[in-house]
Amino acid sequence: MNYMKRKNSWRLLIVLLPLLWFVVSPATQQAQKPGGFEKSIQPFLAENCYACHNAKRASGELNLELYKTAAAIAEHREQWETVLLKLKTGEMPPKGFPRPDENQLKAVIGWIEAEFARMDRAVKPDPGRVTARRLNRAEYNNTVRDLLGVDFNPADDFPQDDSGYGFDNIGDVLSLSPVLMEKYLTAAEKIARTAVFGTEQVKPTLARFRPENRRVVPSPKPLTEYDETGLSLPNSLHVTHHFPVASEYNFRLFLNGNRPSASEPLSLAVWIDGQLVKTMSFDPEYLASFEADRQALGGQVAEIRAQAPAGEHLVSATLQKLYEGLPPRYNGPNPSKRTPPPAPEFKPRADLPPERVAAAKKRFEEARAVSQNIPANDARVSSLEIGGPYNQAKGPAAESLKKVFVCGQPGTKITPDCERKIVASLARRAYRRPVTPEEIGKLTGLIAMAQRQGDSFEEGLVQAIQAMLVSPHFLFRIEQDRKTASTDGYYQLNSYELASRLSYFLWSSMPDDELFQLAGQDALRKPEVLSAQVQRMLKNDKAKALVENFGGQWLELRKLEAVKPDRQKFAEFDEYLNRSMRQETELFFAAIVREDRSILDFIDGNYSFLNERLAKFYKIPGVSGPEFRKVTLAPETQRGGILTQASVLTVSSYSTRTSPVLRGKWILENVLNAPPPAPPPGVPTLDDAKIGTAASLRQQLEQHRTNPTCAACHSRMDPLGFGLENFNAIGAWRTKDGNFPVDSAGVLPDGRTFSGPNELKAIVKADSLAFAECLTEKLMTYALGRGLERYDKPTVKRIAKQVAAKDYRFSTLALEIAGSLPFQNRRGERAQ
Amino acid sequence: MIVTRKHLPRRTFLKGVGAAVALPMLDAMTPALSAAPKAPVRWAVLYVPNGVVNIDWWRPKGTGKNFEFSRLLKPLEPLREDILVLSGLDDHNGNALGDGPGDHGRAGASFLSGVHCKKTSGADIQAGISADQVGAQALAAQTRFGSLELGCEDSRTVGNCDSGYSCAYTNSISWRTPTTPNPPEVNPRMAFERLFGTADLSLSPEVRARRAGYRKSILDLVREDTKKLTGNLGASDRRKMDEYLFAVREIETRIEKAEKDQSAFTPNIEKPAGIPIHFSEYVSLMCDIQLLAFQADLTRISTLMFAREGSMRVYPEIGINDPHHPLTHHRNNADWIEKVAQINTYHVDLVAKYLKKLKETKDGDGSLLDHSMILYGASICDGNKHNHEDLPIILAGRGANGQDADLQPGRHLVFPKGTPMTNLYLSLLDRMGVRAEKIGDSTGRVGQLTVA
Repeated sequence: MNYMKRKNSWRLLIVLLPLLWFVVSPATQQAQKPGGFEKSIQPFLAENCYACHNAKRASGELNLELYKTAAAIAEHREQWETVLLKLKTGEMPPKGFPRPDENQLKAVIGWIEAEFARMDRAVKPDPGRVTARRLNRAEYNNTVRDLLGVDFNPADDFPQDDSGYGFDNIGDVLSLSPVLMEKYLTAAEKIARTAVFGTEQVKPTLARFRPENRRVVPSPKPLTEYDETGLSLPNSLHVTHHFPVASEYNFRLFLNGNRPSASEPLSLAVWIDGQLVKTMSFDPEYLASFEADRQALGGQVAEIRAQAPAGEHLVSATLQKLYEGLPPRYNGPNPSKRTPPPAPEFKPRADLPPERVAAAKKRFEEARAVSQNIPANDARVSSLEIGGPYNQAKGPAAESLKKVFVCGQPGTKITPDCERKIVASLARRAYRRPVTPEEIGKLTGLIAMAQRQGDSFEEGLVQAIQAMLVSPHFLFRIEQDRKTASTDGYYQLNSYELASRLSYFLWSSMPDDELFQLAGQDALRKPEVLSAQVQRMLKNDKAKALVENFGGQWLELRKLEAVKPDRQKFAEFDEYLNRSMRQETELFFAAIVREDRSILDFIDGNYSFLNERLAKFYKIPGVSGPEFRKVTLAPETQRGGILTQASVLTVSSYSTRTSPVLRGKWILENVLNAPPPAPPPGVPTLDDAKIGTAASLRQQLEQHRTNPTCAACHSRMDPLGFGLENFNAIGAWRTKDGNFPVDSAGVLPDGRTFSGPNELKAIVKADSLAFAECLTEKLMTYALGRGLERYDKPTVKRIAKQVAAKDYRFSTLALEIAGSLPFQNRRGERAQ
Repeated sequence: MIVTRKHLPRRTFLKGVGAAVALPMLDAMTPALSAAPKAPVRWAVLYVPNGVVNIDWWRPKGTGKNFEFSRLLKPLEPLREDILVLSGLDDHNGNALGDGPGDHGRAGASFLSGVHCKKTSGADIQAGISADQVGAQALAAQTRFGSLELGCEDSRTVGNCDSGYSCAYTNSISWRTPTTPNPPEVNPRMAFERLFGTADLSLSPEVRARRAGYRKSILDLVREDTKKLTGNLGASDRRKMDEYLFAVREIETRIEKAEKDQSAFTPNIEKPAGIPIHFSEYVSLMCDIQLLAFQADLTRISTLMFAREGSMRVYPEIGINDPHHPLTHHRNNADWIEKVAQINTYHVDLVAKYLKKLKETKDGDGSLLDHSMILYGASICDGNKHNHEDLPIILAGRGANGQDADLQPGRHLVFPKGTPMTNLYLSLLDRMGVRAEKIGDSTGRVGQLTVA
């Protein structure tokens, strides 16, 4: 929880104090039972806590002697949230101190919780206030796609969006620098021209890529069980390339290595984002070197022409069916039917002196020996050139025409009436609200200006569209203040503002026609309409934006773009595996959204989405080919749920090794809603300390936990992480870590024990409501575009309970958020 | 991984009316720009994260002219007469000062500002205006870009960056205002296009002029609309609109400057295709872009972050597969210490290569290095200890401005204990004709820079 992350932050507390006092003081005048604190809580604290948390020692910067009344708890809510958490998890009193009486402990926990609940009830409902949100990069791309049918992802060139509270759509944090404004202008022109005149004609350019040091481990014998697509073999090449426009490109594959003479032609293939684009048969037999008696591939180039989409994509150049078509003596699958050429003979030139004949013979025989022993997998793609675009399409896309010319046709005379219609329709959709005649007049004024200077209507229209695209009404989601707020100090958003909130929440894009229509009828707020719309939107293809943007940040999948596991230790980790990992989790998330499944599937769903590469990596049989498909997971696979997916396991590891601390922290933050506080000053990050001695990781961590300062948090973090120790730093199953057998057992501070991922998941699932609250908080932060505050807490709790009551359905969560007070309302400025 | 991208039309031309003149790095032709009466002083800050492995491995033996190159500075030895090694400078505000852990979080934001940033991971970021921006704002009228912020690490990060500190603090050393960081451009292609334009040069000058006129009308229109809108907004929304209006005004000024600017400059490197995979290529490409911007006098102030503060970058090209930051907390493990030392030396080596290029580039009556002040360093001293005193700092170039005495490189200077970095910035800004009273925690100016 965000408000819980601020533990130990006394400065903030001091800032908040007057505010808190104001908010809670009416409530504190009547505690639950007068004197309850003095009678039952204080004695408990004195007996169990004061030994360390007293005025003198103040362990962990906490002096509990300070608190003498229930009112004092209200004043220091943050601190007491921590106290509650420590008591509930059993972290305090720490190991080695006598355990308090269980009944007493329960009573104390119950009292504090009741006190909090009472305080929360007394807080005046407050929807909070969201600052005007600038479209972030993903939202910008999606919005111009839906507004104008332009899909070249112009925002990929914009500077990174800053993030706050874990997400990059937070109004307060998204700033607008002159550099970004410059890019908005450039992008606006390009987008407007693309929509009206078609994709700009780009001059062909050439980019060359050579691979990083991949290691092809020579295999004398062909494999029968291997990836026939070649995507996961080191013989292939993967590069990320930016295609300026969707068009034809020329892919030149530079080959290297050798194949035995009389092998069948190679099957080369080009893939984009894991999808096969084109294959080509390449026959090197004609260049078999006679003397060496082999197909020498060095310097050979194969050209493949293929269509590529605009934007940044993963291009793979592979050798398909690598182990097929080798000569029969290799005993490989589907051997070559070609007749082997006659063995070369040694024929020295007649005039050579005998000593040079001997030397030549030696060379000849050495070359022969090499040729006879060419590894079955020596052929490879050594580098790749991408040239283009070629044969670019001309003229606007049909999709763009439909969206721009709501009347009239390009190239024909446009009546003034039609002109206004075109501009009004575009502006209404661009600004996501009704537009005034004055606004339309200004925009048509730009068209007239261009026409006066001899330009066409279309050129003028381009200017008008540019003006819309750099207008703050387009770039920001602005919710205007009402003159009169209700007596509660807040007001309902209007229907258009609500439509925008909804569409950017679930689609990261502008509202579609149906939402606009409902907004126009002021019907969107009706519960049955809202519910139907949320259901419809979640099933729509555009909801994949929720998976990419929310899921990508909540589960930290975006970090996969930057991870670089040690190549020495994790040779099998390559770009293709990385993409496959991410895709698995995205498909898994998408299935929960689309099929409206239980959010508890995140913890232990017994299914996932795998392609051959990932299935092999997980050692799950029966999956072949590059397509992802749903696979049911038996318990003995040890997989199921996000905690066992390679993506999450990789982003919560270091590049060279696993870290139970990082993984434990990941679970506490992203699943259990109990983020640990930052380490106290002067303590080095635990994990940085440990490598290089003889003790196992576990031994070192346990030693570390003998220090009570460290134990306070690590006793909660580390065991959770240990439950996942059977997965290495890229998520592959293992039973040994270096020389030490993996011990995946853990003991939680409250004494519960478990071993291995399946039991860990059961422990996590036992606290399903905590998970529901965690996901609610994250999703609500994302939906609102602001950090959550104290006054949001009752809403979060209520939503989580609703979700739990309705089988934890994802749609319930989304709908409850969309219908909640903070989503539907906004605090007036003066009410602060 | 990307080797080159060849543009089939070999040259990228700029907008502008004058003749395009090629400016090769090694001065095969006389640059049109040297016609300028006097070469201006340029200031670059090259920033490295995570401090150095051990300040004793950095600090040279001996002071003044008679100093011995240390292990970490070894790559700079051939440039002995071009650099000053500066010891004893502090970034005091990088320290906790009661705010607990987060030295990396603070270090980035305090380095150039001398201000202790507010501990927050959310909306209310608060640091201080940085020294480069003090200069940039004073010199804004002189060049097309007040300053140029570059970086070599993607700042696409999730959540907090260090112990409750916003990523904005670790991502940017340049701050336009206490609440507005100037995030660095990390894509060489984008940096290049920003400097040299993306204009479609197949169009006739008339068409381009007409479109430039349209653009002005568009900006007028949105500016008016925004002003009208602002009346109906609350304070926080209004701040966003102010940011927007500031940006619009900046662009308008830039367009005006470009119109007045009659010179054209053709960069002699190919337009970069994207981000090179190899770090050395990446840094050297960004250095090239900075060099071009200085050479063409498009800006006089530029920062380049080799990586974000607290960087987790791995350096496989020099055989280091462990991320940088965890390595720096080495617990006296010899292997780790060695690796950090190698990373430190690797960075210094890249700087040496850049300085060499600057030295080989003609500028006015001397070399570009003669007219530059290239500051290289970190705002953490020892990456393991997280201390912010006695920072590892190098100042290269002579900063010749034709008035004051030149900087006298070839020496190791030791400043009095507790001298703030900001004092150095004030002295450097003086050389650029920018008289600032105070920056952050400055207490005055530093001496010794010019005294031989």
